[in-house]
Amino acid sequence: MFVEWKTISLLWPEVILGAAATSIFVGGAFTKSRAYWAVAALVSYVVAAAALFNIGLPSAPLTGPVNIDVLSLGLRGLALLVGLVFTLIASRAADPELASEFFGSLMLVVLGVMLVASANELALLFLGLEMISIPTYVLLFLGRRDRATSEATMKYFFLSIFSSALLLYGLTLLYGISGTTILVGSGSTPGLADAFADKAALAAKPLGAIAPLALILVIAGLGFKLAIAPLQFYAPDVYQGTTNANAGLLAVAPKIAGIAGLVRLAIVALPGLSDFAWQLLLVLAVLTMTIGNICALWQSNLRRLLAYSSIAHGGYLLIGLAAAAGATSAVGAQFEGGLAAALFYVGVYALANMGAFATLAWLGSPRREVSGVDELAGLGHSHPLAAAIIAVCMFSLAGIPPLAGFWGKLTLFTSAIEIATSTAGGGMSRWFLILSVVAALNAAIAAAYYLRIVAVMFFQPQTSAPPAGGGIGALAAAILCGGLVLFVGAFPGRGLAIATQSEAGVKGDGPTLTRSVSEGLHARAMHPR
Amino acid sequence: MISQQLLLTIFLPLAGAILMWIIAPLGRHAARVVALAVTLLTLFCAGQLVMNFPPGGTVAADFAPTDAAWLANAGNLGLDIRFSVGLDGLGIWMFGLSALLFVTAVLISWESIDQREPLYYAMLLLLEFGCLGVFTARDIILFYVFFEFTLIPLFFLIGIWGSEDRRYAASKFFLFTLAGSMLTFLGLLAIVVWDRQTSGFDVFRFSIAALTESLQAHPLPREWQLLAFLALFAGFAIKVPLFPLHTWLPLAHVQAPAAGSVILAGVLLKIGVYGFLRFSVPMLPEATATLMPWMLWLAVAGIIYGALVALAQTDLKKLIAYSSVSHLGFCMLGLFALTAAGVHGSVLQMVNHGLSTGGLFAIVGMIYERYHTREISQLGGLARKTPWLAFFMVLFTFSSIGVPGLNGFAGEFLILLGMFQRAWAEAPPLLAGQLLAIAVLSVSGVVLGAWYMLWLVQRVFFGPLKEPEAASHHEIHDMSWREIAALVPLAVFVFWIGLRPGDFLSRMEPTLEAARGPAAAAVAAETRSTKSEIRNNTVISKAANALPDSVSDF
Repeated sequence: MFVEWKTISLLWPEVILGAAATSIFVGGAFTKSRAYWAVAALVSYVVAAAALFNIGLPSAPLTGPVNIDVLSLGLRGLALLVGLVFTLIASRAADPELASEFFGSLMLVVLGVMLVASANELALLFLGLEMISIPTYVLLFLGRRDRATSEATMKYFFLSIFSSALLLYGLTLLYGISGTTILVGSGSTPGLADAFADKAALAAKPLGAIAPLALILVIAGLGFKLAIAPLQFYAPDVYQGTTNANAGLLAVAPKIAGIAGLVRLAIVALPGLSDFAWQLLLVLAVLTMTIGNICALWQSNLRRLLAYSSIAHGGYLLIGLAAAAGATSAVGAQFEGGLAAALFYVGVYALANMGAFATLAWLGSPRREVSGVDELAGLGHSHPLAAAIIAVCMFSLAGIPPLAGFWGKLTLFTSAIEIATSTAGGGMSRWFLILSVVAALNAAIAAAYYLRIVAVMFFQPQTSAPPAGGGIGALAAAILCGGLVLFVGAFPGRGLAIATQSEAGVKGDGPTLTRSVSEGLHARAMHPR
Repeated sequence: MISQQLLLTIFLPLAGAILMWIIAPLGRHAARVVALAVTLLTLFCAGQLVMNFPPGGTVAADFAPTDAAWLANAGNLGLDIRFSVGLDGLGIWMFGLSALLFVTAVLISWESIDQREPLYYAMLLLLEFGCLGVFTARDIILFYVFFEFTLIPLFFLIGIWGSEDRRYAASKFFLFTLAGSMLTFLGLLAIVVWDRQTSGFDVFRFSIAALTESLQAHPLPREWQLLAFLALFAGFAIKVPLFPLHTWLPLAHVQAPAAGSVILAGVLLKIGVYGFLRFSVPMLPEATATLMPWMLWLAVAGIIYGALVALAQTDLKKLIAYSSVSHLGFCMLGLFALTAAGVHGSVLQMVNHGLSTGGLFAIVGMIYERYHTREISQLGGLARKTPWLAFFMVLFTFSSIGVPGLNGFAGEFLILLGMFQRAWAEAPPLLAGQLLAIAVLSVSGVVLGAWYMLWLVQRVFFGPLKEPEAASHHEIHDMSWREIAALVPLAVFVFWIGLRPGDFLSRMEPTLEAARGPAAAAVAAETRSTKSEIRNNTVISKAANALPDSVSDF
């Protein structure tokens, strides 16, 4: 049987969410109470979280379609937090007629992210990604219904399908080369990671020579989710054309899924291609963050500005992945931390972005969205708490200590500099030096537009006060995220520990990665911890 | 016990800032009284620490150290970032000066701040928290966290309570500093990563002491030293500010509220010099030795440029701001002379400049409060109406231009002594000409400094009385007790350092000697090798010249 009971038992949180989403959809036809469905959704997330905490790490590594490791548990937890926060945000913003559809679709997006986070199989991974995309089309239409929204939704719809096709093409090539759909297998059932263990193994395959093409297609497909260059250009239009709540969701949920997919697929499952992967990822990182930051400088629409900011942060995430691929490629060198850095960064990025969008959603009302930077003028006077939360989130995104974003930058830069100061050959150290300098300069450029928002809020006289009709739920979500940003800033240890354990788990190795990944994975299979 | 006191001193202002948020509804008076109480209590604790500091300085261990794991549970990423603070000879006086200047800052804000006072004092206290932390941090990341953190409160102080052009000034200040410090961050990380790759430890160590030791045992390769030095330079030189990276400073000073200017000039600029002396010089000695002439040229360019531009100013605050560029040039000059006298003078001058320029900015704030103008041409003969203000102005001016018996003299004298020592006696022969030129040029800064400062005092305080039209509507008072209380402590130290500099120098000596040791040795090694090369060359050429003679002798 394709789906075994064992697999289902590992996916209880997803099963709960799926059942809850379905009942919310169906139930919405009978009762249209927005508050009722919001509470139902919140309860489902809490129950799913409880189920998630009950799973625990398996004693022996799994080889089925589902992988349960710290990475999967951590990102699923983050996805549930995302669901919780956006349900709170939408508790008053959602159209009362269509509230149940909104909450149900949102839940399916969260479910998709969770599936991607634990997928160890190509088909499941793809299903998870589609599970994110399809409800997103609905969500975009539910938010607002004017011409800009229609345009944004159509744009997102076509490009998303296009990127799915690219990804699917890449996955087919991978399957064609290796003959398996399992990402990381074990001795008896080898997975992609064994087929692509190193260059020699790759060359032995009949289609090995086109493997780089598969990698390009995979990165392109997932890059759409991360909004990395050259597939970034939809983000500003789509964010601008939708509501603050939807824009926030688009900035967060697909990023988490994209990073999970890239980690599992491009880094861990294809070690043989790491030589090509680090070069590709490095160039994309430099391009993406520079384009994002420079374009953001001139934006006057908040969502457009934050869209470019989220593009830039996609570039930062790639630094960690490039460093991880570089480390895999230079076998024997003693550096690691790239994956942990990227995973930690996606967490702190999500917190700060959710905080900012939640506050913006609270400041608006269902009739009037806050969209211009100028609309925030004088906010420090009229709504000091909201202004403080936005300021904290902006400073965190800019990476100013002692906020959460700083620790993300610290780990990312460390992972890049580690390769830069090493003796890794092939110009690798020089390229990573360039990467880290570009990243540092970008961080300085980025501070300019984050600071502009803060300056407008606190230094400009009030023009017209925003309605602040987002409801108590949005305010609670904003306070929760702002508080978490401060907390992680002061005590980053716990979050970093989870990120590091995720990296160790996904690489299947102890504290230092000195051998190639597949070797490490075999060692782990033989001596389960 | 003493360690807890240091922690208490650092965290008191933070607690005060949080308290400010709670008492905000009580209004203006409560806010400023609480702010004064918190800064006084902080000063009391800091003063006790400074008094208990060993008179001979600290040699091996820091004074009042605290060391606790901060990221210990960060899994196996191996980031051994610690919450580690302590005092040593380099930080002690800046630590004490910060605690002192914040009392002055609160006192001079007493009347002049008349909107959103709780937020204002909260920001001021947060800034104090950052300043005290920066000079006591013993962990690179902790230092960097405090270093960057100081930007946020000052950004708000300038942006909300500043003058007309405050928004632009606040953003420019923030972005300029941040752009540089991002590169500094890379440099610091490169040092940390190099340490892990060579020291054999399996973790990234961030302790400043451990890194200094490790980098002296396993120095970075030469080209990496230069890269790391330049990366650190980007942040610290902007902070100092070193010519030509100073453009943010006059703007920020002019737009900031008086207390903001006092703290900016008195404390925050010193973080740059402090950073050079804490990181660049001891950790990258070879690069320091190589780049020494460049740094000295930049310093002397700043001295002369700052002084000349100050001469041309018509705005009181701008004039003093440019004088800061000139004075900080002296600090950098002494520091990169790398002689004992120069480095000691540089650190002493950091304190001196904080006292005198802090006092001057406070006085300019008081003048502005009375006349609502900072234009020199609109003012004159103020000594007739405000004799006490004139007294303090003259005192701090004399201190600033280095009149013997006051603190400025001790610092400038040591710096120039150190520079001439380097140029005359200990110069690498190839650089001797350059260094001598630098030394001679720097002296002109002293003359120019006396010129513009005395000119300023003469124009504003002496001669026939001249007041702006608007001021005739209300009566002008001399200094109140509050204002005198704000300046007297500074004046006491102006005399104390001037008359007994030894009390201050002895406490920093061991630390400064250890910090400059390797770099000075690198310069000396260069000197020896070039000297012996030249000697060899001359011996050979002499021998070659002598040969025919000796042949012909036969």
